[in-house]
Amino acid sequence: MPIEVILPKVDMDMETGTIEAWHVKEGDLVRQGDTIFEIGTNKAVMEVEAPASGAIRNIKAETGVPISVGTPVAWIYLDGEAATTPSEPAAAAATVAAATSLPKAEAQVAPVMAAAPTSSGLRATPLARRIARQNALDLKTVTGTGPRGRIGEADVTRHLEQRPRCTPAQDARPAPTLSTNVSEGRLQPFSAIRRIVANRLSESMRTAPHFYLTSEIEMSAARDLLGRLAKRHERIGAPKPSLTVLIARIVARALRDHPVINASVEGEATRFHERIDIGIAMERDGDLVVPVLRDAGGMDMPAMTREFARLREGMAKRTLTPAELGGGTFTISNLGMYGVDSFTAIINPPQGAILAVGRTVDKPVGRNGQIVLRPMANFTLSSDHRIVDGVAAARFMADLREALENPELLL
Amino acid sequence: MPSDTLEAVSEIRELSYAEAVREALAQAMEADERVFLFGEDVGVYGGAFGVSGDLVHRFGKERVIDTPISELGIAGAAVGAAITGMRPVLEIQFSDFVTLAMEQLVNQAAKIRFMFGGKASVPMVVRLPGGSGTGAAAQHSQSLEAWFAHVPGLKVLQPSTPHDAKGMLLAAIDDPNPVLIFEHKLLYKTKGHVPAEAYRVPIGKAAIRREGTDLTIVGSSIMALKAEAAAERLASEGISAEVIDLRSIRPIDFTTIAESVRKTHRLLVVYEGVKTMGIGAEISAMIAESEVFDFLDAPIIRLGGADAPIPYNPVLEKAAVPQEDDIVTAATNLVRRGEA
Repeated sequence: MPIEVILPKVDMDMETGTIEAWHVKEGDLVRQGDTIFEIGTNKAVMEVEAPASGAIRNIKAETGVPISVGTPVAWIYLDGEAATTPSEPAAAAATVAAATSLPKAEAQVAPVMAAAPTSSGLRATPLARRIARQNALDLKTVTGTGPRGRIGEADVTRHLEQRPRCTPAQDARPAPTLSTNVSEGRLQPFSAIRRIVANRLSESMRTAPHFYLTSEIEMSAARDLLGRLAKRHERIGAPKPSLTVLIARIVARALRDHPVINASVEGEATRFHERIDIGIAMERDGDLVVPVLRDAGGMDMPAMTREFARLREGMAKRTLTPAELGGGTFTISNLGMYGVDSFTAIINPPQGAILAVGRTVDKPVGRNGQIVLRPMANFTLSSDHRIVDGVAAARFMADLREALENPELLL
Repeated sequence: MPSDTLEAVSEIRELSYAEAVREALAQAMEADERVFLFGEDVGVYGGAFGVSGDLVHRFGKERVIDTPISELGIAGAAVGAAITGMRPVLEIQFSDFVTLAMEQLVNQAAKIRFMFGGKASVPMVVRLPGGSGTGAAAQHSQSLEAWFAHVPGLKVLQPSTPHDAKGMLLAAIDDPNPVLIFEHKLLYKTKGHVPAEAYRVPIGKAAIRREGTDLTIVGSSIMALKAEAAAERLASEGISAEVIDLRSIRPIDFTTIAESVRKTHRLLVVYEGVKTMGIGAEISAMIAESEVFDFLDAPIIRLGGADAPIPYNPVLEKAAVPQEDDIVTAATNLVRRGEA
């Protein structure tokens, strides 16, 4: 019997996944453990290994189309099995019918077509869903203006009008217009991660009332400390610490005294997290990913530096699990290394706050009646006003300033 | 009939609803001697709402028969007469009293044709003045049409205009099956254009009273009129309502409703009968089950009668059934906010 290759469940709350890319093609011989495709969940992209050795046959799943967990996507024919037998179970064929019935051209341009009808918890009128289907539009990207956020016809129409002209027309044959009209530029469908980022951040801006507090903080002491830590780490064989890690360490300590900043919105309640898990916003191949320093509150600098290095490497090699890429309780985004002075970040939902770190630059400041140069950096905290009030955020910023300017106080 | 002159007159002729019904009865009796009237006070008194008027003098007591106060007796005699080849038209003085005639209407009239394999049929017409608004309290104000629309073998009509009242009654008398016509008491005095000749309005065909694009309002009988008036007001607020007058509850013209909803994407069903388990529920379900479901851009809204006996107090009586204002409000909410 051929071995079924199913779309695996790689994350706890995963219901559908999208095959981002096939690493094999029809008829390829694979060895058990070989990577055969990449799967995008709502948190990360994972590689899926062949469950057996043999020839890949009957690849049923298009890339870019959400598929239910457990759906067979291909079969591996073992040695000696008649590889030509089209013996995939009928039920499986039916399950993926929606996906496979897409014309190829359409699937490439409109990778999310099947999402709308299956997405759970999405409020949309039947007409809105119909129009979305016809236009290969993912309703998750549409903002509903109806009662309780319900998406109606007008919302979809408005969305379609605002969409670039590459939108598949009603007959879903957009490719020719794309290739003949160079002035419109290149159309790149969202990757799974881009889609997640787009959806989550839109949702955050839509639902979380953001407010922003900026503090300009002197970094002399932090810089000195970083220098001393670098020497110590070298001695004990730990990686060289970066400013980001030091900030994460100090933030983690400060968060201990500010449970409301280390909290999330959960329906109409505030979830206070016992553990401090700090997500660090990073870039990978043009995508925004946020690996998480678990229990950052309980780590010393060497441990945190090592963990941070491990996450970076895992990210580059794409070996991180979805669990390592989600579920933080607070996020830090540092763009200082790009020369950004200061910025405001969008909260990573359902977290209640995010800290945006700008570059450290020598600036004239007043000290004891003298103008002196000091390394200064802007820290901007974005808070969700549903759970964090101005004073609470300001207190956190005050403590953060004190800790960064006097790191020895943390001892 | 000297048709030239009559038709010329008919173009400008207005009759009341009651007069239109009476004219239909007279023309049917003139054309077919098997047609006769039957009911409480339909003769000398001219009918409780004056519908039969002078017919007893024109056609005699043999054909316009005053009956004892026994709805079961009236209905039973009519079923018998119909089976034996007559064309009885009976009046249930207030439609509320039809409860007493249920056995004959539901168990006999509706079923005989089927139980005898088509060898017998029951070509009878029952006229039932119904509805609220006359201060007649809980036992004289009900809208019971949905009860009968639930019974296979019966046809149930609710004409809203004098034109349809005449044309549908004539069509009902022609029909070989038992047909119930619910006439809203408040409509009897309304006037409208009624051609003089004996014309028929087909049973089972709704009328689009007003074309619109933003929502479909479905009603029948007096609710069709209220919907039309509401649509006029909605238009001044920039909402384009399509108004469908059902005219016939069973058979129901689902095609017309479906085509309209396919166009407008929103549906408001208005009916005077008690909202719960009523006509609106049936229409909503038909849309939800059909391919038109995919064209809905908002929940289907029912405006129906209160879940209460019709009160005697005139303020409460009015509040117990949908009024023009209610329709305007519900339609506005449906179009502007997505629900009523």
